[in-house]
Amino acid sequence: MTEAITGTRGRATPLVPLSNFLTRYVLRLLGLALVDAFAVWLVSLLIRDAVWPLAAAVIAVTLLVNAVNLSDRLYPLRWMSPAFAIIILTVLYPIVFTVYTAFTNYSDGHLLTKVQSIRRIGQDRFLPEGGVTYRWAGFRSSDGEIALWLVGEGGQAYLARPGQPLEEVTADAAGVGPLDADGFPESLEGYTRLGLRDLLPILDSQLAPLEFGEPPQTIKIKSIREAAQLQQRYVYDETQDVILDQMTGALYTADDRQGFFVSETGATLNPGYQVTIGWSNFQRLLTSPALRGPFIQVFVWTIVFALFSVLTTFALGLFMALVFNDPHFPARKLVRTLLILPYAIPGVIGILIWRGMLNQHLGVITTNMVNLFGWAPGWFTDPFWSKVGVLLVNLWLGYPYMMLVCTGALQAISSDVYEAAEVDGASTWQRFWNITLPLLLVSVGPLLIASFTFNFNNFTVIYAYNEGLPPIPGTPTPAGYTDILISYTFRLAFESGRGAQYAYAAAITIVIFLIVASITLFQYRFLGRWEEVSESV
Amino acid sequence: MSKKIYLSLSLLVIAVMLLAACAPAAPATTEAPPPEETEVMTEEPTEVMTEEPTEVATEAPTEPPTEEPMIELVVWADEQRSPIIDQMGNEFAGEFGVHLTVQQMGFGDIRDQLAVAGPAGEGPDILIGAHDWLGQLVANGLVAPIDLGDKTDQFLEAAVNAFIYEGQLYGMPYATENIAFFCNTDIVQEPPATWDEVMALAETLEAESGGEVTAWTIQERDPYHSFPIFTSYGGYVFGLTESGYDPSDVGLDSEGSLAAATFLQEMAAAGHLEPGVDHDIMNALFTGGQVACIGTGPWDLDSIRESGVNYGIFPFPAGSVGPGRPFLGVQGFMISAFSEDQLLAQTVLNEIFATEEFMQAMYDADPRPSAFLPVREATADPDIAAFAEAGHDGLSMPAIPEMSSVWEAWTNALSLVITQQQSAEEAFATAAEQIRTLIEE
Repeated sequence: MTEAITGTRGRATPLVPLSNFLTRYVLRLLGLALVDAFAVWLVSLLIRDAVWPLAAAVIAVTLLVNAVNLSDRLYPLRWMSPAFAIIILTVLYPIVFTVYTAFTNYSDGHLLTKVQSIRRIGQDRFLPEGGVTYRWAGFRSSDGEIALWLVGEGGQAYLARPGQPLEEVTADAAGVGPLDADGFPESLEGYTRLGLRDLLPILDSQLAPLEFGEPPQTIKIKSIREAAQLQQRYVYDETQDVILDQMTGALYTADDRQGFFVSETGATLNPGYQVTIGWSNFQRLLTSPALRGPFIQVFVWTIVFALFSVLTTFALGLFMALVFNDPHFPARKLVRTLLILPYAIPGVIGILIWRGMLNQHLGVITTNMVNLFGWAPGWFTDPFWSKVGVLLVNLWLGYPYMMLVCTGALQAISSDVYEAAEVDGASTWQRFWNITLPLLLVSVGPLLIASFTFNFNNFTVIYAYNEGLPPIPGTPTPAGYTDILISYTFRLAFESGRGAQYAYAAAITIVIFLIVASITLFQYRFLGRWEEVSESV
Repeated sequence: MSKKIYLSLSLLVIAVMLLAACAPAAPATTEAPPPEETEVMTEEPTEVMTEEPTEVATEAPTEPPTEEPMIELVVWADEQRSPIIDQMGNEFAGEFGVHLTVQQMGFGDIRDQLAVAGPAGEGPDILIGAHDWLGQLVANGLVAPIDLGDKTDQFLEAAVNAFIYEGQLYGMPYATENIAFFCNTDIVQEPPATWDEVMALAETLEAESGGEVTAWTIQERDPYHSFPIFTSYGGYVFGLTESGYDPSDVGLDSEGSLAAATFLQEMAAAGHLEPGVDHDIMNALFTGGQVACIGTGPWDLDSIRESGVNYGIFPFPAGSVGPGRPFLGVQGFMISAFSEDQLLAQTVLNEIFATEEFMQAMYDADPRPSAFLPVREATADPDIAAFAEAGHDGLSMPAIPEMSSVWEAWTNALSLVITQQQSAEEAFATAAEQIRTLIEE
């Protein structure tokens, strides 16, 4: 860093080679212009879609990058700016957005903004009672005006032009060419007949908005073959914030507390829209029947699962590390490499392999156990053994990490301490218990806490192993014996009510975060004591 | 958030990093930076610049160029159907001056991505989907009503009805899907006609083979495959009214459902039904000749044919009220509510897709009973015809969003009964209560 600061000062020397000037100013400004142009384009895109929070985040990042690259005082930050940009966009923004979402009703049925919702509802059309449907053919006049030759159900023909009354026509009138197989004239004086290839490109952009004939009974294009006296079904009145159903006469008033247009009878219009709803999601979680049910049971199992996962992986990892720390172990590099393999296999695949091996009917472990002992545990159906099973699988997945960490930490312990202990006549066990473990825990302790926190929310293992099953009988909402807090509440948010409820899930996430955070804080207090222990060694 | 935004974000991050790389590496020295450094500086930014506009050009299908001879429509389809739409669809569409840009994605992804890409203006004009997505898609305002016009009569009525949600048609069906009763004809010449016969058959087969072979098995945790048993005893999930399924009438603890669950309980108690069977085990047992009959769908037809087992496909056995009625799933084409060319998309559906050649090609690519009557009636494959027959009285899978509250509770009840941890009555009374609670949630 000091070098960098002197560098900025050194820049003031008058003899700067051209190439250096290029890199310092031209390329930097060029790069900055590129980033800015890009950001402006991105922000305009985001604002068009009304994605305000992300737009704000991108603006903040862009300003930061500009400031850092233009100001000499912020020069040391220049190398940090990519990291800052990534932190803001991939860490801070998701956190802020999750918190924000927890206070909205963002869920299935409320994905759109109010404007989008009104636009979508306004698309619906209906054919009023007594409304007539025609078959049509398109014509274009020499001045570009579109006209339709309509044939009604009774066979009578009309010429329809936008905004003008229908004109009844007959096939034998002057200027009307011979009729084709569908009953439309092949030519019409003053017009050219539009074929399918002419019609399709303008169908949605030019033909669909046109209203033929006189109001109120105008005719609109219904499909490539049919036109009818269609009317817009739902009309939005901005001044009163209501939607009128023109077919039934019902009035739907916007209810911005629940994000729906609601009629007097309580009927709602699809789709609803997004609104902020304050603490409702948290309230709902606290009053949820799920909390009256097996919540305590699930919570205790969550802690047991996290604790045992850490303890078993640490114990096995440490044991392996100690064994392979001995230079006399034969082929230790090869064996150690093989032992690290589970770490290199993607977790989900590892779990699937285990699921196969433990399979009750075909699994290699189960069938061998049955052959040897005449009995095998119900790895997926028995409440106790499924818990054992998921801990075993997690042990297999987790010990290589602990082994790596411990191997490193063991090598960091000074051999002087051991020599002194040996002189004092300490046994191997005493050396491990009084020297190795305390010193190891000082460096590995925070990792153990991190591992606990990770396993507390280890959704992947629980879901991939057995989806939290086997089921607990008689619960108010579905719950399984291996469910941990996150998998149990996941179900509340995504497998209940009316589909996926993202906002509720966000609220649950925040509550679980608070639980984990307080446990972690408590653990750090506890770890503080360990450090005192290590100081006295 | 749309793909474009993700792409842009990552490009932004790359650009920021490049900018950092542009900062002089060793400012203290007055020498020119090493040549590699300049290379990085001159090459990489231009790469970003040249890449970016092409990305924008390919990803902006919203405004079809009216001057171009071809108008573009974006179609989202899964891997089995996208090649057909791409070749066959474009062959026909080309005559009309329309080009179909087929974007291939996983079947389930279509549903998830639509919610994100549709409102952002990045979505398709036409998409392939299943009828039971409608509850979610309509509640989210993602699909537009469609109009089959005079083609309506050419489709299977049950399939068209499945795509009607809250009184409006939202899809053009192309195939139906249901499970049927597969029996190994080397073990049983005549399939059991009732569930009681299934139990009797299990007793004889197990006695004859010393427990090696049994009559029938079912997946422990798959309510979908157990539904025909429930219907055969008069059970139901949601009460069916004239306006569709009624979420306030949960029927898993109805008399009929309990009778069906009791049958499963008796089968399990007598040792005829083993717990822990999943889809793979069920197929392995059937193709290995250890079980005479299973219920499964056309998706297993290939593996069963390859195994060389002699099989027949039959309707489900009957319970106290009649033969089992499986769930009917219908696949079809829908139009995105965010498409700016809805009339054109509708035209493509009615004039191009709803033709015998196209529907036949769809059938050939992935044989399952067609929803298009001319193709359905001409089905030469006896197995597919048997599936159509077994699904003749099928009940369309409820599309209402409340269905998401059902699966877990139902699965658990089924599992508790088959593993004999709870009685049929207790398990299914709990399940129905759980579903009612979740729907109120």
